[in-house]
Amino acid sequence: MDLRAGDSWGMLACLCTVLWHLPAVPALNRTGDPGPGPSIQKTYDLTRYLEHQLRSLAGTYLNYLGPPFNEPDFNPPRLGAETLPRATVDLEVWRSLNDKLRLTQNYEAYSHLLCYLRGLNRQAATAELRRSLAHFCTSLQGLLGSIAGVMAALGYPLPQPLPGTEPTWTPGPAHSDFLQKMDDFWLLKELQTWLWRSAKDFNRLKKKMQPPAAAVTLHLGAHGF
Amino acid sequence: MPAGRRDPAAQSARRPPPLLPLLLLCVLGAPRGGSGAHTAVISPQDPTLLIGSSLLATCSVHGDPPGTTAEGLYWTLNGRRLPPELSRVLNASTLALALANLNGSRQQSGDNLVCHARDGSILAGSCLYVGLPPEKPVNISCWSKNMKDLTCRWTPGAHGETFLHTNYSLKYKLRWYGQDNTCEEYHTVGPHSCHIPKDLALFTPYEIWVEATNRLGSARSDVLTLDILDVVTTDPPPDVHVSRVGGLEDQLSVRWVSPPALKDFLFQAKYQIRYRVEDSVDWKVVDDVSNQTSCRLAGLKPGTVYFVQVRCNPFGIYGSKKAGIWSEWSHPTAASTPRSERPGPGGGACEPRGGEPSSGPVRRELKQFLGWLKKHAYCSNLSFRLYDQWRAWMQKSHKTRNQVGRTLPDSRRGTRDRPTPALAGEREATRIESSGSGDVLWGLSREGEDPVPRNPRPI
Repeated sequence: MDLRAGDSWGMLACLCTVLWHLPAVPALNRTGDPGPGPSIQKTYDLTRYLEHQLRSLAGTYLNYLGPPFNEPDFNPPRLGAETLPRATVDLEVWRSLNDKLRLTQNYEAYSHLLCYLRGLNRQAATAELRRSLAHFCTSLQGLLGSIAGVMAALGYPLPQPLPGTEPTWTPGPAHSDFLQKMDDFWLLKELQTWLWRSAKDFNRLKKKMQPPAAAVTLHLGAHGF
Repeated sequence: MPAGRRDPAAQSARRPPPLLPLLLLCVLGAPRGGSGAHTAVISPQDPTLLIGSSLLATCSVHGDPPGTTAEGLYWTLNGRRLPPELSRVLNASTLALALANLNGSRQQSGDNLVCHARDGSILAGSCLYVGLPPEKPVNISCWSKNMKDLTCRWTPGAHGETFLHTNYSLKYKLRWYGQDNTCEEYHTVGPHSCHIPKDLALFTPYEIWVEATNRLGSARSDVLTLDILDVVTTDPPPDVHVSRVGGLEDQLSVRWVSPPALKDFLFQAKYQIRYRVEDSVDWKVVDDVSNQTSCRLAGLKPGTVYFVQVRCNPFGIYGSKKAGIWSEWSHPTAASTPRSERPGPGGGACEPRGGEPSSGPVRRELKQFLGWLKKHAYCSNLSFRLYDQWRAWMQKSHKTRNQVGRTLPDSRRGTRDRPTPALAGEREATRIESSGSGDVLWGLSREGEDPVPRNPRPI
C-alpha cells in the first residue's frame, strides 16, 4: 500500500482546507439558517480524520499480513475484490454528478465497506489489532451517520438496501487464507481511495452550498492570505 | 514486458492521484495481472507444519491464457525470491519447490509463499503456518477485588514463542457442581489474563485452569483450586497523609484510612508502609503495622524529602485464617523532615545524636533491656526509637533551657492511648504533658543522667 503518496496528498489537502475555510470568515453576513453547510464541513472533517486513522491501522494490519503485503509497490491481482465499491471514476462523470447521486454513492460505498470491515474477522489477529479495527468501524459508522445527516438536510432519501443484495463477504469456493489476505489488502486500499475521494466530494458540495458572494470574498481573502 | 517491471499506468491506478485530472488516467490504466490467480494453484494450500520439517510444494498453471507454461515461473517467500536451486520443473505446467528445515513463521498470519509469472505478477499464493504446539500454561494466580470479581493471570509454557496464534481460554467451575464456565474478558491486566466480573460463589472452592490451543495442538494447565475468600485483595488505603512531627528532625507521621470497600466485611487489616529518600531507589519497609491507621517513622534524615506508600492486606475475612493478598501500593505521598539545626552529618536510623562516649555501654544495655521487654512485656511498643525520641527531646530541651523564652518542643505520639506499665526497678516513667493538644510524651529517666524536668515550662 502506497502510504507515502497519501502523506504528500495530506499536505495538499491541508492547504485546500485552509483555502476553503476562507469564505467562512465571519465577515460573511449570513442571516438565518446556516443550511447544510456546517454538517457538510463536519463530514469533510470526518473523512480527513478517518483517512489519518486508516493510515496507521493499515500500516499495522499490513505488517501483520507480512511481506509482500506491506511493501510499497505491492499490486496483487484483484479478484474477490470485484464486489468492492470502486472509488475510481471518470473525471467528467465525477464532475457531472448531481448532489443527490454524489451523496448516495458515498453513502452506499461506506455502508458496503463498513460491512466488509466488520466481517474482517481475522481470528489470528492480535487483541490490539482487533481493538483498532473495532475503533475504526465505530468511526466509519459515525461518517455514515454524518452523510445521512447531510442527505436529510438537503431533503434526499437515504438509499435503502434492496432485499437480497445485502453485501456479504462471500468467499469463493475453498477460499484460501492467501486469497483472504489479498481481499483484505484491497479492502484497505479501496477504503483509502474512497476517503480521499470523499474529501473532494464534500469540498465540492460545500462550494456549491455557499452563496455566490462568497466567491468574491474568497478572491479577496486569497490575496490577503 | 520484462520480468519484474510493472505497468506505470497500473501504478497510478494504485496510488491516489495527487491532482484531479489524473482521475482520467485511472480509467486508462487497467491493473495488471488481473486474472492471474485464477490460472494457477499452489498445493498444499495453507498447510500447518512443525518447525524443522520439510515442505514439497507445487504451482500448477492451468493454461489460461493458452500457452502458459511452467517456464519462467518463480517462487517468493515473504517477498523474497527463493534461490532457483530449490525449484524444479516437474512437467510442462508444474513448478515444484522443496524447502527443508523450516523456521517458525515470520508472522502469525502465516508465511506468504507466492508463485509468480515470468513478468513478476502473482499467479497464486499459499500461507505456511510453521510453529510448535502450545506448552502447558503455568503459574496461574488469581485474586478477587473486594470479593466482587476474580482476575486471573498465567504464564504460557516455558518456551513462550510458538510462532502460531495460540488461543488461551480460562475455565472455571465450582468444585462439586459440575458445570464448566469460560472466562470472557481477556487481556485485562496484561496479555495472559482474564477477568470474571460477576456471579461468583463464596464458601465453595473453585477449580480453575487454562487451555491453550493452536493449529498444532493443545495443552491444559494444572488445575488450581481456590476459595474466593482466601484470595481477596482490596484497593490501596486512600487518603495517605504524611506530615512532620512538630520540630523533630528525624520523624514523620503517616496517616491513612482503611479501604472503604471492605468495611462491611468482617476482617482485620494488616498494613505495610514503605518509604524512601527522594533520590534513592531503595525502599525501607515497615512491616508490623497491624490494624492501625497511623504510624510514626523515626530515625530519618533531617531536611530530606521522603516518599511514602502504604498498602493493605485484608486477612481473616469471615474468620478465615489465611492472609489475603496485598493491595497495590498507594500513590506516593511526599513530605520532608525539618532541617537539622545542628551542623554536621544527619544521623542514620539508629545513630546517637551528638558525641556522648559514655552512652556507648548505656545504649547497649538499654538495647538488651528493650529486647527483653518486647518479649516479656505486653506493651511491645517500646522500642529503640522511643529512646531516640527521648534523646532528641533531651537535646532540644537542653538548648531551650540555655535560652530564655524558648518553648518546649511540641511532640506527639502516634498512638495516644497506650499506657506505659510501671517498669521494674531502675527506671520510672515520667509523664510530661504538652499543652494544647493534650497528647503525651512518654519519657524514660535513669539515675545518673539528666533528669526529665518534672515541672515543664508551659508552651
